[in-house]
Amino acid sequence: MSDAEIEPRKKVLIASANPLFAKGLQKVYGEKWGAESVDFNLAGSMEETLARLESWQPELVIVDYDDRTIHREAFLSHFIAGDRPMQVMLVSLQASGEVVVYDRRTLTPAQAEDWMGVPARPAHNPAKLKSRSGNMKHFLIAGTLVIVSTALISLLFFAVGLLPDQASTQAVTIDTLFNAHFVIIAFLFSLITVFVVYSAVVFRSKPGEKQEGAYFTGNTRLEVIWTVIPLVTVLGFSYWGAQNLAEIREEAAQPLNVRVVGYQWAWLFEYPDYGVTSTTLYLPVNKQALLSLTSRDVIHSFWVPEFRVKQDVLPGENLVKQLRVTPNKVGNYEVMCAELCGGAHAYMNSPVQVVSQAEFETWLSEQVNAVEADPAARGQKWAEINCTSCHTLDGASLVGPTWKGLYGSQVELEDGSTVTVDDAYLLESILDPNKLIHKGYPPNVMPATYGDLLTDEQIQDIIAFIQTVD
Amino acid sequence: MKKIFSYDIVRGVIGQLIGTPIGFGLVAGIQALLGRPLNAEPAYVVGAVFGVLGFLIGLGAFSDWYHMVLGEEVHEPEEIQDPPGARRYWGLSFDHKVIGVQYGILSMVLLALGGTFALIFRTELAASGRQFLSFQLFNSLVGLHGMVLIASILMGIAAISNYVIPLLIGARDMAFPRLNALSFWVAVPASLVLVSSLALGGFETGWTGYAPLSIRGPMGIQLFFVGVWFVGWSSILGALNLIATIVRMRTPGMAMFNMPILAWSVLATSIMALTATQLIGLAFQMTLFERLLGMSFFDPAGGGNPILYQHLFWFYSHPAVYIFVLPGLGVISELLPVFVRKPLFGYRWIAMSSLGIALVGFLVWAHHMFAAGMEEYLRVPFMYSTLLVAVPTGVKFFSWTATMWQGKMRLQTPMYFLLGAISVFLVGGITGPMAGTVSTDLHITDSYYIVGHFHATMFGGYIFPVFAAIYYWFPKITGRRMSEKLGKWHFWLLYIGFMVTSFGQMRIGLLGMRRRIADYDAALGFDLPHMIITIAGYMVAVAVLLFFINLYHGARAGEPAKGNLWESRSPEWLAPSPMPVHNYDTPVVVVGEPYDYGLEGSKYVEVNQPVAPAAQAAD
Repeated sequence: MSDAEIEPRKKVLIASANPLFAKGLQKVYGEKWGAESVDFNLAGSMEETLARLESWQPELVIVDYDDRTIHREAFLSHFIAGDRPMQVMLVSLQASGEVVVYDRRTLTPAQAEDWMGVPARPAHNPAKLKSRSGNMKHFLIAGTLVIVSTALISLLFFAVGLLPDQASTQAVTIDTLFNAHFVIIAFLFSLITVFVVYSAVVFRSKPGEKQEGAYFTGNTRLEVIWTVIPLVTVLGFSYWGAQNLAEIREEAAQPLNVRVVGYQWAWLFEYPDYGVTSTTLYLPVNKQALLSLTSRDVIHSFWVPEFRVKQDVLPGENLVKQLRVTPNKVGNYEVMCAELCGGAHAYMNSPVQVVSQAEFETWLSEQVNAVEADPAARGQKWAEINCTSCHTLDGASLVGPTWKGLYGSQVELEDGSTVTVDDAYLLESILDPNKLIHKGYPPNVMPATYGDLLTDEQIQDIIAFIQTVD
Repeated sequence: MKKIFSYDIVRGVIGQLIGTPIGFGLVAGIQALLGRPLNAEPAYVVGAVFGVLGFLIGLGAFSDWYHMVLGEEVHEPEEIQDPPGARRYWGLSFDHKVIGVQYGILSMVLLALGGTFALIFRTELAASGRQFLSFQLFNSLVGLHGMVLIASILMGIAAISNYVIPLLIGARDMAFPRLNALSFWVAVPASLVLVSSLALGGFETGWTGYAPLSIRGPMGIQLFFVGVWFVGWSSILGALNLIATIVRMRTPGMAMFNMPILAWSVLATSIMALTATQLIGLAFQMTLFERLLGMSFFDPAGGGNPILYQHLFWFYSHPAVYIFVLPGLGVISELLPVFVRKPLFGYRWIAMSSLGIALVGFLVWAHHMFAAGMEEYLRVPFMYSTLLVAVPTGVKFFSWTATMWQGKMRLQTPMYFLLGAISVFLVGGITGPMAGTVSTDLHITDSYYIVGHFHATMFGGYIFPVFAAIYYWFPKITGRRMSEKLGKWHFWLLYIGFMVTSFGQMRIGLLGMRRRIADYDAALGFDLPHMIITIAGYMVAVAVLLFFINLYHGARAGEPAKGNLWESRSPEWLAPSPMPVHNYDTPVVVVGEPYDYGLEGSKYVEVNQPVAPAAQAAD
């Protein structure tokens, strides 16, 4: 712009909310053009500016382009609408003193585009360009560290071995998904940690330093990228997860049926096809077992870590749940209750033996043929199934009183009286455990349902067995 | 003697001590009139309810409303003069800053209590075999550890929200000051009731209170239910107040997308707390009725369904996790720009991610029940919705990382805790998807893996951020600073202690360690890991003890805080510390964006108030 374009006594309107900006420009251009040849007028707001355009009719408008209270679109439409000669000068102090001049009569659509696009905030200054190449270097270093760290952590995971033995075909399937999770965990941990630690180490202020960080407020493209990529990933993972779930629930043609009964605080395994009941879960290897789980009292949960799968065991006849397991490795395992079930929850464990098909058959026939003639021996069997998870045989006090030396002894009751343990006392305590309360063992702990669960003969067998424990 | 009675809290406790026997006697009396033998359980329940009401009446929480009902004049909350000094924290006050500090004190008391419970059973678990806890006491402590700390967290987020939110948005107080006082004070007798469940034999269900186990067993569970029920009221009313405050009380000219980011998190949290808390209240109330009145909602023996309980329970208790962590994540987003001297990266995305988490958070509850025996097909849609949570959570992590990138990080104590929060919450976050895909969850559910994962989300999403917030705003509250040196000791002990605990728990969980067992088989080989976890647990305890010492010492003899000591753009730091009684003399004027650090000459707000003279001297 040459000085000749400004005729004497031209009217110049300066629009800026910042009075310092306006005063400064007035001074600079007043000296440049000569104060006597120019009339200045200052407008501090959008409304004021538009009003002055109408009332005062300036030839030149100087606009502060760092002022974000100025509504550009409204200003532009106003600018092109009139036919009086007028020029607009855009001045940005922050974007390295950029100055752009537009003429109302010669404004092209491309210029209008530019006008709308002139950054309100500084974006492309030389300092920024310099830091961009520096940024690239930082990104490369951090990116490399992420890859190295991911590889190292994954290696560590697989070297240490995070999961117990695989002892079922379901475990093999599930572990493929586990391994994918481990790698993703290693990657995400490295990604964020490397960038955060890098920022903390490389970019941090020295003590006492008062410098501000680089100025950028966001990047929509980046945000979309790190929304869409995780979205696609989790949808993919969910789909895979559903496939994986379907695979572990595949039904074999002729599974071995086992009824699993949980109760406070022990397990019972019934083989309905053979009429056998056991306190150890015997399973033949490489044959799918269809477990039907039910509880006599509260919720329990069936978990053999080596099998991976878990299923809660619910009370209620209509709430029998099923679980399919195909053991693939001979060995001894343990089933444990994984749902807090009160009292001796911690001790609600039973052995699991995975054996060959031949051994399994042998065990079954032994069980079927074993009919004991001795009532105490029969009683021991019933007691192992029903009683000994709470009443020990070795003198230790668990949930209920020990049976060691119990028969014939004097027992102090909660009300202070004493009673001699005989057949009648034992029978009464089994049928109605809340009637005579053994001192130190609170009521309502032992179920009062044994009269229904056991036959009279079984109860007599148990009493016969208790007589022998000393 | 008379002086003691002038403390509202003393009158409240006396009210509770009177109310409880009245309630108990009422039921016992009716039973006696009917010629029945005493059944203590309903008497204790009614006694507990009467006790809570007695506390509130003794305190005077209902006085104003009572006078309003009678048509009498009451003072406007602004006209009431609180007693001077620390005394105002022991009485009924309508000032949001006082209530915020009161919430904070209650939160810290419950934190110490819940943490002590954990130390006790952690010691029991240091070696296999049974040491000194009975099964019943062990189970009670495990359950109370959970619920007492949940109450502590609810109080903690209410403390931050109450103290900070009105200051951040330039309000003079909360929208409903009287309701605000009630929401705090109802939690005090409720906490007493909750903890007194130990005196009635405790309970053996853990904090989840699953039926039908909760329907049998000791009656301590009833006080647990009543206590939580009233804490729920505190949470619901507080959330209502915060929503109204954020929506209606912002200073003129502050648009929603121009308000400090913490307000968005608190808004999202409050929407959840306002709409979900009823469900846990209902679940507990139904169990309470089932025990008292024999209504068979959940026990299959009477035709009920135990799965129904779990649906009701988790419909709150899963969103609750987000209720606990969203304010913490908001604190991270709020303070990070101050300490890295850079604008918050993607403000709108972070704001919307909070609402996104709140929305998706409502649709994932049944992932706690993959092994529970609900309809099997339901597990697949809940797997999809659960993994979706990763998307808005990821947005937060990426945005924080981008905020720190090329920032000029100032490593002061709050920044240490922010870094701790981000890295611990990262561990909690990335260990989550494994519990989201059904088949892997069947292995890890109800194991120590879940314990480790959950504690990482709580420490990263609440504990570390809340410590950052306290170090940051403590000078605003007291006019004094806490010790940076002690603060850094606090940080490192807590960070290392916690990481060891959490990784140790996840490790043995994957290998087969079950949750909530009082003893474990030595053959499993977990003795050494458990010993290490226990020692690390004590490290955490020592760290928190150092924090309490720092808090006490800082309040008594800390270095005076001068002006805008973090060089924040936020309005509260442009006003004097401690904050004047009615906050800002004239409305705060918004003139820019909240987080434009590094944009020369720009400001977020103008506060027309004499800042302490040292503000300039700090340069």
